[in-house]
Amino acid sequence: MTTATSTLEASSSTVFGVEVPQPPQHGKPGGIMRHLNFGTGLLTGIVFAVAAGWITSALSSSSATNDTFAPTEPEYIYLAGLIGWVIGFMLGMGAFVGPLRWVTGRDLTHADAEYMAGKDLGIRRYFKFTTDHKVVGIQYLVVVLGILGLGGLLAMLIRTELGATWTEVFSPTFYNTIIGTHGIAMVIGMIVVMSGPVGNFIVPMMIGARDMAFPRLNALSLWLLVAAVVCLISSMFVGGIQDGWSVYYPLAAQAPPGMLGYQLTIIVFAVSTGIASVNLMTTILTMRAKGMTWSRTPILVFGVFAASLMGLYAFPFYQYSQILALTDRIWDTVFFNPVQGGSVWLYENLFWLLGHPEVYVILIPSMAVALEIMPVFLRRPLFSFNFAVAGIVGVVALSGLVWAHHMYMTGWAPAVNYPFMLSTEMISIPVGFLVLVAIGTFWRATVWTRLPLMAIYAVVFNKMIGGVTGVYLSDVPADQYFHGSMFVVAHFHYMLMGAGLFGAMGGIAFYFPKMTGRILDERIGSIGLWTAFAGFQITFGSMFVAGLQGQPRRVLQFDDMFNISNWISTIGAYVIGIGMLIFLAAIIYSWRSGEVASSNPWGSKSLEWQTPTPVPLENFAVLPVVTERPYNYGVPDPYEAELEAEDGDRTSDDRERAGVS
Amino acid sequence: MTLTSPPPDSSEAPEAPTNRPPSMHRARNWMRRPYARSIMILTVVIGFILLPLCWLIVAAMNQSGAPASPIMEDIETTVFVFTLVSIPITAFVFAVLVYSLLGWKHVSGDEVPADDSPAIRTNTVGVLIWTVASSLLAMFLVVWGLMELASITANSYGTVSADEQPGGEKALIVNVTGQQWVWTFEYPQHDGLTSDILYLPKDRAVYFNVTSKDVLHNFWAVELGVKIDANPGAITQTGVTPNKAGTFNVRCAELCGLHHAYMQTKIQVLEPTAFDSWVRESGGGRTS
Repeated sequence: MTTATSTLEASSSTVFGVEVPQPPQHGKPGGIMRHLNFGTGLLTGIVFAVAAGWITSALSSSSATNDTFAPTEPEYIYLAGLIGWVIGFMLGMGAFVGPLRWVTGRDLTHADAEYMAGKDLGIRRYFKFTTDHKVVGIQYLVVVLGILGLGGLLAMLIRTELGATWTEVFSPTFYNTIIGTHGIAMVIGMIVVMSGPVGNFIVPMMIGARDMAFPRLNALSLWLLVAAVVCLISSMFVGGIQDGWSVYYPLAAQAPPGMLGYQLTIIVFAVSTGIASVNLMTTILTMRAKGMTWSRTPILVFGVFAASLMGLYAFPFYQYSQILALTDRIWDTVFFNPVQGGSVWLYENLFWLLGHPEVYVILIPSMAVALEIMPVFLRRPLFSFNFAVAGIVGVVALSGLVWAHHMYMTGWAPAVNYPFMLSTEMISIPVGFLVLVAIGTFWRATVWTRLPLMAIYAVVFNKMIGGVTGVYLSDVPADQYFHGSMFVVAHFHYMLMGAGLFGAMGGIAFYFPKMTGRILDERIGSIGLWTAFAGFQITFGSMFVAGLQGQPRRVLQFDDMFNISNWISTIGAYVIGIGMLIFLAAIIYSWRSGEVASSNPWGSKSLEWQTPTPVPLENFAVLPVVTERPYNYGVPDPYEAELEAEDGDRTSDDRERAGVS
Repeated sequence: MTLTSPPPDSSEAPEAPTNRPPSMHRARNWMRRPYARSIMILTVVIGFILLPLCWLIVAAMNQSGAPASPIMEDIETTVFVFTLVSIPITAFVFAVLVYSLLGWKHVSGDEVPADDSPAIRTNTVGVLIWTVASSLLAMFLVVWGLMELASITANSYGTVSADEQPGGEKALIVNVTGQQWVWTFEYPQHDGLTSDILYLPKDRAVYFNVTSKDVLHNFWAVELGVKIDANPGAITQTGVTPNKAGTFNVRCAELCGLHHAYMQTKIQVLEPTAFDSWVRESGGGRTS
């Protein structure tokens, strides 16, 4: 429609040398976004929360009944407050500005989009709904460090209680709250620790793209995570999550209102994860640089894609389980209430349909980062790239077929224990491929002993222990002893923390120069890493012993026979705490005043390191073209040369190397 | 060189001239490389260092008196065998890590080192050996696990009904009820005698009907190797034949609320005559 009276003229912008027609510009670039930031988000969120709570309070007190089975009034107020918070916070951040402007016919112009990407905003862009993938990556990193810090603090409290065997340091209520909150906080933190910062900051650059496929969804996924974490923290003030991170029914039905905080956290977090997954997958599928065929795509991209894919199919189960649980609580539906015909096994199935793929969502990006780091520091190609891909594909394929190994002992369906034991033990084959790739890459390589690589030694070591103990747990007869014991706790900490978190620490150290422009202080960082590693072995090695002796998990008091192993575990846990604080200090110190990094301090050949540091807004002035496989380091194998002299034949790799160099 | 027909008597010629060294020759050459021998030796050394774990793990499991039933014996055998078969592969991976740290070359410093590592993109023989070995290992674990599972299932549920036990001896039935935060054991064959300590006769099959009054619990008779969830609104069944007299533990292995940690009790496995007198003394009336 053309209006003669309008002073606004359709214009066009030149984007990378191409004339792009633009909708009319309304006001200054950015419009209302100029006034919205984290502060307004907080303010609007709190106002909405209070308003929603107040309205609910007014409504429910007027219609109060004598029905003693109905949820108490505070439950409604808390739930309304949480929903108000999430909507208000997202509104105040400006998450809905794009769609609203589109609906009202004032679509964003190129100038608006550039403003939202944080152009010329300096430090302020980190506190806004910024769409630039690099800003989102940094925001993710800070949020994740906060979540992991919270989880770590709670872990210290748990070990304090378990170490003080002569007394109850905390009440059982508080103890149950901290184990539940520790669990879910760490799970959320570990899911995003690599896919968030590295997936957002590095992956688009690694594939030679200028941003993610859906930049606004990218920002949305981050701020939804922030909204969800606030829900989680708020739950601790209204009774907490007292039922472990798995919140099995019907126990969770007895829980105080804090359970609503858990449910809303998961519902919102699942939306955040779904959005982030779709965004990453679309970016990887459609925006790889010219010439970047699948065999020229770095392994980390495969890892992040696999994690996104698993998250995308697994999280809805979890989300549905919590939506059903929420309606059970608020509207007295009986999905999970066995007394009225609901099923606790239904809940367990829905929960573990997420719960097991989730561990691979955590592990695969960390393993992929490890495989990404190794070629750079060992100066050689990744050993058997195809096997690494096959390993990741195998894990993804089996990830959805193993969940009921968490339910061997539930009595749900003893006959299905047989096929689930088969599928679970099968998964050790693709995971073994990844171990083979790792040790094959170490094989005969000159080691550049820098922190990112040294972390990988820790990862492979822990992964072996976690993997072998996992084989016991996948076996029904052995699980009949180990299920629900401290052995399980030690096993999954070896996997999620020992392999996942130490891999993430290596990944952070590796990408730190690109993300912050400074080198992570090697000395302080190494001291932190190895202190944490030593403490880790003490804590969880001893916890294996407690589990073998027969200590159940999630208990705050136990027989005297478990005292010694628990004391040792607690001492180890404090050592981990100290190590992690040192590592955190290294991050903070290096970020503020570390050695300034060159654009490619590791001499990597990957695309992300070919950009200048700090990375300009749209990464590449000219989009790169990929002409060779990744990891083209190293020299022809002298032993192979010997054999070739005998054979008079040339391997395909040599022909390729000759063609490349 | 292209062979138009197979060389005559190739099976009998010990060193038939070919254009590649025979595989044994290649393997021998490979073993002569300095690192290969070191890693093999390291693997063996680390393997022997890890070997005591097989017994230590079982010793830790036995600390409070296990095994007290054939099921627990099966479990311990499984754990022992799994540890044993895991050791070679674990030792090999650890040996490569150790040799990488100590044996192969190192550079440090800020300078990006020269590209002097051999560019091995893959190694068909190595990959094949790994794949076949890990698949066989997984296959072995699965087969072993399935057989052991069948064995403990037979031990738990029995292949004959409670009334038709061999030797004319009836199995003892115990109804186990979990509630926050106590266990109750009812003996329906003995006038519904109830107890909060689990008394069991030695060398006699026992069937448990497990349920819960409120939330999920998990009935874990630790030293007997019995574990099953107590679900409200459902009865789960398992069983065991204790073969060792003594005092053992029942612990709840599923978080069940405030006092989950204290939801534990004792098992007294008694000689059959002692069990019968306990039943009479406790007012159990009719004995089986």
